[in-house]
Amino acid sequence: MNIYEITDLFRGILHTTGVFNFQWKLIIMWGVGSLFMYLAIAKKYEPLLLLPIGFGIFIVNFPLVPLMGYSDGHAQLIEVFYHYGLEWEIIPCIIFLGLGAMTDFGPLIANPKTLLIGAGAQLGVFITFTGTVLAGFTLKEAASVGIIGGADGPTTIYLTQHLAPQLLGPNAIAAYSYMAMVPLIQPGIMRLMTTKSEKRIRMRQLRPVSKREKILFPLVTVGIIALLVPSVIPLMGMFMLGNLMKESGVVERLTETAQGALMNIVTIFLGISVGATMHADSFLSWKPLFIFSLGLIDFGVCTAGGILTVKIMNLFLKEKINPLIGSAGVSAVPMASRVSQIQGLRYDKNNHLLMHAVGPNLAGVIGSAAAAGMFIAMFD
Amino acid sequence: MKNHTILMPALFLMLFPAVTIGEDFLGAPVVPHIRTIQKTETRLEILSDLTHDDALAFYREALREEEDIKFRDWKDATYIEDDGNREWHSVTISKEGKEGTEVVITKDSWTWIIGTLILRYVGVFVVLLLLFLGLKISGAFISRAIAKMDVKKDGS
Repeated sequence: MNIYEITDLFRGILHTTGVFNFQWKLIIMWGVGSLFMYLAIAKKYEPLLLLPIGFGIFIVNFPLVPLMGYSDGHAQLIEVFYHYGLEWEIIPCIIFLGLGAMTDFGPLIANPKTLLIGAGAQLGVFITFTGTVLAGFTLKEAASVGIIGGADGPTTIYLTQHLAPQLLGPNAIAAYSYMAMVPLIQPGIMRLMTTKSEKRIRMRQLRPVSKREKILFPLVTVGIIALLVPSVIPLMGMFMLGNLMKESGVVERLTETAQGALMNIVTIFLGISVGATMHADSFLSWKPLFIFSLGLIDFGVCTAGGILTVKIMNLFLKEKINPLIGSAGVSAVPMASRVSQIQGLRYDKNNHLLMHAVGPNLAGVIGSAAAAGMFIAMFD
Repeated sequence: MKNHTILMPALFLMLFPAVTIGEDFLGAPVVPHIRTIQKTETRLEILSDLTHDDALAFYREALREEEDIKFRDWKDATYIEDDGNREWHSVTISKEGKEGTEVVITKDSWTWIIGTLILRYVGVFVVLLLLFLGLKISGAFISRAIAKMDVKKDGS
């Protein structure tokens, strides 16, 4: 064996390592992944999702890693999670099953007029659509970017996967990031849009809701949604099944699994799959940056839309609603409700708005799903 | 077999010459037609002697490789819609023409985009409003049923 053969041997080995295939832009993505992991670990911002997403971004941005692609005709590890979980649109629906099994719709049933706040808070979704089209996105892409303002992660993922899968990574990350930043984004808008007297409006304690009403709620809701926006039934159907399981009280084992183990398993797969879609080659362009900046405006307009809806409703209502609960219409359960509670207490130490804000908060989940259904119906 | 491979494209060229000579309106292919009913900067209405199915086949072939195009089968027409960023928005091929098949091509316009967005936003309100009514009615029904049961219990 001469010196050339030995050199070739070493070169051959070196070419199978990542070092020889290194690109500088990968370092930027390591930074992005690390930032999300930092936000999750140090700041506790949506850690259940931002941690696996951050790790997914980090790990997929090394050269030659067999994670998101095919080798010898076989799908690689995260490609399998992505294909069966997201491309088949299964994970968002299973997450909705778990969310339904965890949700108490009592506050919404007790004060159903707060449903309208959930509709009003979708304002940003439709305004952002226009801005995104102006920026040169296709109509399908615009719809998937617009839904970020609804602040509902699974709905954003479901709609994006359906209409513009190429934007899945940036859209999902923008949605979850802004959901995590609700306490930073919303208070300023809430203060700006309400007067001192409005902030101090006290709302009557909610009536108790019977078990029968709670059992009937998922059936009535799923029936009406199925009739009006059938395209979103995979999401809403699972949401209401989870809730029916919880409220019926006869399938405790199933309810526990749906809200616990099953939810946790799919969250891991969701996080790492979404993160893994963000490879440097596709992420480092103007589109994701545009989505992040427009997503912030979108979220702000949705918050304003919810507050504005309450103000309009107050023109016609005898018993006024505190507009501080309007911001909770953007979904982001339960963070947005907590923000309403904290802001309410700042102006009146005995004014507890938490349970009142849960109503529009849950209405926001239904509202954003309805908006997603409208978009799916528009393009399917 | 060889003859077929030569004949088929030739037949297509004879049937649909517009594809080959590149006649278009705002970038949308225009089906061979006998009369132009109306032509403005934003709308073209023509009357074609092709049947609805032939006109549809023409557009399916002409737009075969284009992305973000949707063919919707309506009761009285086939509606071809562009979901991309093309200059034209839709091609409507009527199914009920007496003298021929009417084809309408429209320009992509902000009126359509804003109009559909407003309608869909209102749609979200309608969905939640109906849900509100559903809850009100079912709530009232249950309350009444519970009240009746309580009266019965008290009576017995």
